[in-house]
Amino acid sequence: MPSPLTMNPSAITTDLPDAPIIQARGVHKSFGNFQALKSLDMEVRRGECVGLLGPNGAGKSTFIGCLYGVVRRDGGELNVFSHDPVHHPRAIKSRLGVVPQENALDDGLTVLENMQIYARFGGLSTSQALPRIKELLAYMSLDHKSEAIIKTLSGGMKRRLAFVRALLAEPQLLLLDEPTTGLDPTVRHLLWEKVLSFKKTGKTVLVTTHYMHEAEILCDRIVILNKGEVAGAGTPKEMIERLAPGYVGIFSQDSEPLLRPLLDPARPGWELFHQGQHCCIRAPQLEDLVALQHSSGLTPLQLRPSNLEDVYLKLTGRELDTNE
Amino acid sequence: MNEPLATLKLSWHVVVRNWVVYRKDFLANISPTLADPALMMASLGMGLSPFIGQINGLSYAQYLAPGMIATTALFTAFFESSYGFYIRLTFESIFKAMLTTPIGPREIMLGEFLWVFIRAAIMATGVGLVLACMGILPNPWALPLFPLIGGLLSLPCAAIGLLAAAKVRNINQFQTVYSFLIAPIYFLSGVFFPLQENSLLWVLVQFSPFYHGVRLLQLSAWGQFPVLEILIHLGALLLFTLLLGFLSFRLIQRKLVN
Repeated sequence: MPSPLTMNPSAITTDLPDAPIIQARGVHKSFGNFQALKSLDMEVRRGECVGLLGPNGAGKSTFIGCLYGVVRRDGGELNVFSHDPVHHPRAIKSRLGVVPQENALDDGLTVLENMQIYARFGGLSTSQALPRIKELLAYMSLDHKSEAIIKTLSGGMKRRLAFVRALLAEPQLLLLDEPTTGLDPTVRHLLWEKVLSFKKTGKTVLVTTHYMHEAEILCDRIVILNKGEVAGAGTPKEMIERLAPGYVGIFSQDSEPLLRPLLDPARPGWELFHQGQHCCIRAPQLEDLVALQHSSGLTPLQLRPSNLEDVYLKLTGRELDTNE
Repeated sequence: MNEPLATLKLSWHVVVRNWVVYRKDFLANISPTLADPALMMASLGMGLSPFIGQINGLSYAQYLAPGMIATTALFTAFFESSYGFYIRLTFESIFKAMLTTPIGPREIMLGEFLWVFIRAAIMATGVGLVLACMGILPNPWALPLFPLIGGLLSLPCAAIGLLAAAKVRNINQFQTVYSFLIAPIYFLSGVFFPLQENSLLWVLVQFSPFYHGVRLLQLSAWGQFPVLEILIHLGALLLFTLLLGFLSFRLIQRKLVN
């Protein structure tokens, strides 16, 4: 059976094939005195999956809102499918699927009724709508629920239904705002698989998330936002190698006075930092940490390779700031 | 497809969405708009009529009858656009999802007005038929006019509801709007008693779109056709619709788009 995502390959737009799908230059937005976006530059190219990471309030959802016109930017240049969302939101939204933070489904309707409404909104005729809905419900393993009232569905089912809704009109670009927050691992894995197969058909994804693991699995590129600005960008692997290379030993907090004298600040690649209640040591090689363990007589709680979370915490200033 | 046509089509889809939700709870939704005027007619109209003399050659029941159509339009429009819209806007976040589709704030607002217009028009027809069956409609030929006048009257009333929805800080504050604005409009606009021309109240109600709708319904139901007065009321109703409609659109747009 062909995947519902590849039903209509001709729907892939061919206008300006080399133009980025999303292009932002100096985009800024304030709500009262709060600067949600200071000056954002970023690009998303066709076929890419880009992850937008950052603490709550960093400007991720504001930026997503700017892309389809529900947030009006104060200034800067912004193009989506080579259209300005302020002036041509409909041209953009007709090629867009959005999974917003809230599902915002009609609780009292059945799954089928709700999806039929959104199929109409998306421009599908009645005869097109039903097969498309059935196909996507099956694709998201919800076909047995088409007559169920939405409020009787579990959180994971509602989220999958929000994905169905976003995919109804065969979008070229998916905007996912924290798509898997609060979901169990099974649903999370299912949704990851669907996002990856969507991307495989040459389509584009922009996803915000707080899960670094999710970002590493889904994203070709990561943009980390902090306080309305880009704090760093790159592929997950490249960012780890550049900003937090090596291995991390995690020790209890009271080990710090014992560990600190053993560190030679001049040695490149060594670092002492805090993550939550823990005292962490970064070293270039795993053997360095094993050696440290022997010389200090302290047993680390964990030894692990550096990961995207280290990069994130470093760039968003959450790593060393003891006030947080 | 050209833009205005696409806008109309999308607005119509908003109407269909509201209808699909409405029909789920059809009886609960339709009861107050039918029961209230029926009770009012029974208690005040039938109950008081024998004790009250004629008003301009009409029995009190006949006097009261057209006001019931206006009342239905007012309450249908106000409650749908205040509580109903507010719930869709906040608790249900319906518009957050709608705005991810080709639907924009303009289509949402047009759809809401269209939805209220259709509902008020249908209710006006229904109440008109009931009044005709009760034999208290002096001019039954006015029946085809009721949906038009009722629908038109519902538009500025819906705009008032939307303005309230844009301004309240929580759902309880609609009660204040009802008590200090809608209830006075309802009780003092000539539905229950004739207003003396050039009295203070008469001057005040000129600024209420409801009054002009009430007058149009009364004149048609009673079979009176003073052309100038009709044109004035019609013009006032259209003016209030444009003015309040525009104002509510601006305020609601700010709620939908940050």
